[in-house]
Amino acid sequence: MKARRVKGLEPDEALADNAERIVRVRLGELCAFMPAAADPAQVVALHDMRIAAKRLRYILEITGPCFGPYAKTATSLVKELQDLLGEIHDCDVQVPETVAFADALMAADAGALRDAAGDADDLDPALLKQAPHAREHAGLAALEAHLRARRLLLFDRFLELWSDAERKGFRARLEYALGERADVRDPEPR
Amino acid sequence: MAKAEDIDVDPAEPYRRAGARIVRVRAGELFDHAEGVLDTSDIESVHAMRVASRRLRAVLEIFAPCFPGSEFKGVLGDVKRLADALGERRDPDVHIDALQRFGKALAAGNRPGVARLVEDLRERQARGNELLAAELERARARGLHGRLLALADAAEPEPEPEPGEALEA
Repeated sequence: MKARRVKGLEPDEALADNAERIVRVRLGELCAFMPAAADPAQVVALHDMRIAAKRLRYILEITGPCFGPYAKTATSLVKELQDLLGEIHDCDVQVPETVAFADALMAADAGALRDAAGDADDLDPALLKQAPHAREHAGLAALEAHLRARRLLLFDRFLELWSDAERKGFRARLEYALGERADVRDPEPR
Repeated sequence: MAKAEDIDVDPAEPYRRAGARIVRVRAGELFDHAEGVLDTSDIESVHAMRVASRRLRAVLEIFAPCFPGSEFKGVLGDVKRLADALGERRDPDVHIDALQRFGKALAAGNRPGVARLVEDLRERQARGNELLAAELERARARGLHGRLLALADAAEPEPEPEPGEALEA
């Protein structure tokens, strides 16, 4: 997902004023994925929301101390969100990989069993013991079930985390904090 | 560990000066983590370097308007290539680690399938390591660290000349 261009950035102006413009855009990008990403089938929206969370997290980690106190809370929340969306994304990548790997082993076994049958009229089930990957299918099926169940669980946690953030006024409070300026000392002598 | 150095920021500091300062720190962290990164028995080094590459890429993008466009594009492209190569190595590391933990929780009869998948991932890990070795060499040959520092220098405004200096020049 390509990040939206932030207008009005001025290299000679204060860090906080420029950072505020960037955070407002990145926050808007993140929040725009809801409610679409609340549909568990919207894998792409969820993946893009993870990228948006990552961008918001990094700008907040660097420039959060410029703003009001809620920016720190928001940074932790966005990190938690990004981590959770990352775990869901891993499941979305690993389920099809596991299925493809299991399918390849299954196809190899089918080919090997066909060869073993030779000129027989039908396939003798007793030949199954000779399948090169016979002992491997059960574990891969268990892994697939585990990954699918984990994805369901993590997705429920994501919905809970987001609704909790909304209930606590995440967006409005962060927007308010962006209008505040922290009173910090000069980081190094000029 | 992948913990980044905390960098103090001053809200009033010019955006370009903060960008220069932060890029210098994050570029240093990236190359500090390069040692031992090709050792597949130690997955923490590559993790730390990958996290450092992500942080560096993020600050480059955040402070992009502060840098001269022509040089910035090339440097960012090289950082992205290195970050991608670190990902090619890191992804199988993480997957192998998770599968090994998962395998321990399984009944004995289910373990061979998971072990077979780990074997397959070891091959991906080795290919990722070859790619990473090539990208590290490329970054060294193209002087990426020096170019990042030069980019940071270019973002800094020239100091205001003292009144006397301006007349003497």
